[in-house]
Amino acid sequence: MTKPFLILCLGNEVIADDAFGPEAARILLESKKLPSPVEVIYAPVAGFALLDLLAGRERVLIVDTIQTGHKTPAGHLSFLALSDFPASHNLTSSHQISLPTALELGKRMGMTMPRQIEILAVEAADLETLGGPMTAAVQAALNDAVSRAILWAKKASRSKNQ
Amino acid sequence: MNSIVIDPITRLEGHGKIHLFLTDDGELANCYFQVPELRGFEKFCQGRPVEELARITTRICGVCPDAHHMASAKAADAVYGVTIPSAAYKLRSLMYNAFFAGDHTTHFYALAGPDFVCGPDAPPAERNILGLIAKVGLDAGKKVIAQRAGGQRIIEIIGGKKVHPVTAIPGGQAKRITKEEQQEMIRIGESMVQFAKFTIQVVNDIVLANKTYVDLILSDTYAHKTYNMGLVDENNKVNFYDGKVRVVGPDGKEHAKYEPKDYLEFVSEHVEPYSYLKYPYLKKIGWKGFVDGVDSGVYKATPLSRLNASDGMATPLAQEEYERFYKTLTGDHSGKIPVNATLATHWARVVELVYACEATLDGAKDEEVVSDKIHTIPKGIVGEGVGIVEAPRGTLTHHYKTDEQGIVTMANLIVGTTNNNAAITMSIKRAAQDLIHKGVKITEGILNRIEMAFRAYDPCFGCATHSLAGEMPLELILHEAKTGEVLSTTWRDSTGKIFHQN
Repeated sequence: MTKPFLILCLGNEVIADDAFGPEAARILLESKKLPSPVEVIYAPVAGFALLDLLAGRERVLIVDTIQTGHKTPAGHLSFLALSDFPASHNLTSSHQISLPTALELGKRMGMTMPRQIEILAVEAADLETLGGPMTAAVQAALNDAVSRAILWAKKASRSKNQ
Repeated sequence: MNSIVIDPITRLEGHGKIHLFLTDDGELANCYFQVPELRGFEKFCQGRPVEELARITTRICGVCPDAHHMASAKAADAVYGVTIPSAAYKLRSLMYNAFFAGDHTTHFYALAGPDFVCGPDAPPAERNILGLIAKVGLDAGKKVIAQRAGGQRIIEIIGGKKVHPVTAIPGGQAKRITKEEQQEMIRIGESMVQFAKFTIQVVNDIVLANKTYVDLILSDTYAHKTYNMGLVDENNKVNFYDGKVRVVGPDGKEHAKYEPKDYLEFVSEHVEPYSYLKYPYLKKIGWKGFVDGVDSGVYKATPLSRLNASDGMATPLAQEEYERFYKTLTGDHSGKIPVNATLATHWARVVELVYACEATLDGAKDEEVVSDKIHTIPKGIVGEGVGIVEAPRGTLTHHYKTDEQGIVTMANLIVGTTNNNAAITMSIKRAAQDLIHKGVKITEGILNRIEMAFRAYDPCFGCATHSLAGEMPLELILHEAKTGEVLSTTWRDSTGKIFHQN
């Protein structure tokens, strides 16, 4: 049965700082500190493929890397609401639809989509080096990110029990 | 000279930049297209067992992992000098056609279709898959999702995993298929063929029935006469998984037809100082710059060029569509006159989608897919191998050398988008030349029409695997060339609003 709460770690384990998500998923799963209604998934996917993972969930925390292109230092963690990512009004992604568009599509197709999605994003420095290690600043943010994800999971779980 | 920079700032899918240099009287003088490339691939592969690469290289592209899995597996077969059993060949082909059916569906309905269904000048808020569904009907959205899910299910059955298949190994396949799974794949294949027919109807009713769109497809703004590359079977029909590489000129004459292992005799790579990405060209003709024509070595490897490089499609409905495509655009149904209109690539993709769906059904019905004889144990090692497949966005080449233990010592890739690097640059330049002039206000519609020039290639810039935002804001900065002073900045945010600052 689909668990109501999901920590969805996106990324790519073989590309430098993009390994942040999969590494966070590994630590979370090994921690055994997550309440039972919370599932952790690492998925190197985007666009339409996210629909399958999100359908039927109540709340979702997405752990991912981000490059804002501004002066945010690498390793900086941000908690973002989905509303911080406006719906994809432009067809400019090189091949996929965006997360907000995927969600809207799911809703219009009658799928049960999460009522709340939050994003725990780390500012990345290197997303281009295959087989490269995570940069030190991004690596250093891992433990903090995992702690925040566990906190999110516990709060989400409590909200279900209330 | 002034310069305009179109800077698409994607978050994770790469950050291509377009530089447009304008003369003092406001006309386009030159165009530079820059994209980032993943670094360190060769080093990443060196020292690994070659059989591992079919699983690892799926991670270098979140868009076409199946293509890398197949090209890598074929290269590894060649490294071990092993011919895979017929059943394994059929399983790989079946999975690969199902992958194409899903991938081409995404591109047509989510990325290309809205330009034609909603219109290239429609407000950005409407010009997307949601706008497309609003126009074509909610049922279309459900069909698209079901089509993609069907393709993924076949990949899961044969490839072991939905997204990143793992079952192609040197000598064949690692997973057998049950009769129940075969029946499920037949049902999916039948549904896919129905979807293909539905898509043909969408193209007919909404695109071809609108003369404005047909004129746009055929306009000089989006035309290039380059060579065309694609894999063909023994009858010169389009094949995605296997065959010889055929190259046909803009005049329709065959330039080359070669075995994948010989690719270095026919393709070379030009380097420009401003770009990480190389520019492959036809070696025997040579690099003559960013120009088209029979004397230029520039070639394209796209759905359109695959059709141009072939003599037709191997399935009946796709062959009908192939003939209609050429009859409509050249007046001759045979396909012997190449179509050089870049925007016709979208229609060509639909012809390929029809083929992929029919081939999936045919492949699923083949009794041999449930055979136990799916693997030949390699007994020696050649130490070098090339694997070529057609990725949805172009010919994909994996080339490995190994030591006697099968440990990789050299790896080279030419990915789909790289093949088209020169042609994409030329297409952007042509579109910009026609659209940007002195005194012309740069609107969102103009930005979109320039983007359409490269969107037709379905480019896969960064090979990163995911995108939360996925939007690509555009920024145009007009400089006074001599002093570098910024004269004005125009940008579009992710909601489609245009801002202008002097």
